[in-house]
Amino acid sequence: MESLPLTEPVLLILMSLAGQPRHGYSILKDVERMSNGRVLLSTGTLYGALRRLLDDDWIERFEQEDTSRGRQAYRLTPQGRRTLQMEVDRMKQLTRLATMRVASQEK
Amino acid sequence: MTHVYQRLLSLYPAAHRREFGDEMRAVFDEANHDSQDKTAAVRASFLAREFAGLIAGALREHVRVLANFDITDILSTRRFNMRNGFRFPKSTAILMTIILLGVIMAIQKGESIANSLPHVNPQIPPIVEGHSALLPPIALYVAFFYALGLIGWIILHALHRSGVHRLDDISEQTK
Repeated sequence: MESLPLTEPVLLILMSLAGQPRHGYSILKDVERMSNGRVLLSTGTLYGALRRLLDDDWIERFEQEDTSRGRQAYRLTPQGRRTLQMEVDRMKQLTRLATMRVASQEK
Repeated sequence: MTHVYQRLLSLYPAAHRREFGDEMRAVFDEANHDSQDKTAAVRASFLAREFAGLIAGALREHVRVLANFDITDILSTRRFNMRNGFRFPKSTAILMTIILLGVIMAIQKGESIANSLPHVNPQIPPIVEGHSALLPPIALYVAFFYALGLIGWIILHALHRSGVHRLDDISEQTK
């Protein structure tokens, strides 16, 4: 079961699916783009994560009209979206705190 | 490469292959096609990442099926994690190569000195080389372990690039 804080690849996968349903290759490219090429997922890593996210009911399969087996799309479930929002809130709070602490040191 | 990928995919448990096998192969085919016009180094990195990720993923799935738990749950707190503090820089590889060459040269020098000395005990016949004249046996052992270390480093590097080491870096806090 995934838990907070999310790992960076999982966070990026969820972010990738937050905007629109995507199939595997689209997720790979989007994660690479969002991380400026820093996070390069292999298919083994991606589908390990997708399997766990499906098990946790954070994502679900999304049937598209032109789908073949290799173009299976995924999308966030309401629970997955809530989890992503919680993670974003947690990171915001952390960033705010870090900014304050760093600023206080500079004074 | 698809053939190799397909072979490695067969390492996964049957249930996982049935559920994701076709998708994984299709995604690999697309990514592999994209990498065709990249440089040899980028392509090699891509293939190493894919194959290492596949092997690691297969191992994780087998543990999950056999032991009914996700290995990453344990690894998330106690696993070997290649963090920023853990680096295997190129300089180390170069240093290893220099050391290996030094060992080989020292062995060869020692043998040449031994051969140049007169036989003080005529009852003992001179040592006849039973192995390759190119490299003495000890150097072969050293070369073997060096190659083993190099392969290990390549796998670790590929895993690091795949992001698998970050995938399960989760805390004890549950959702």
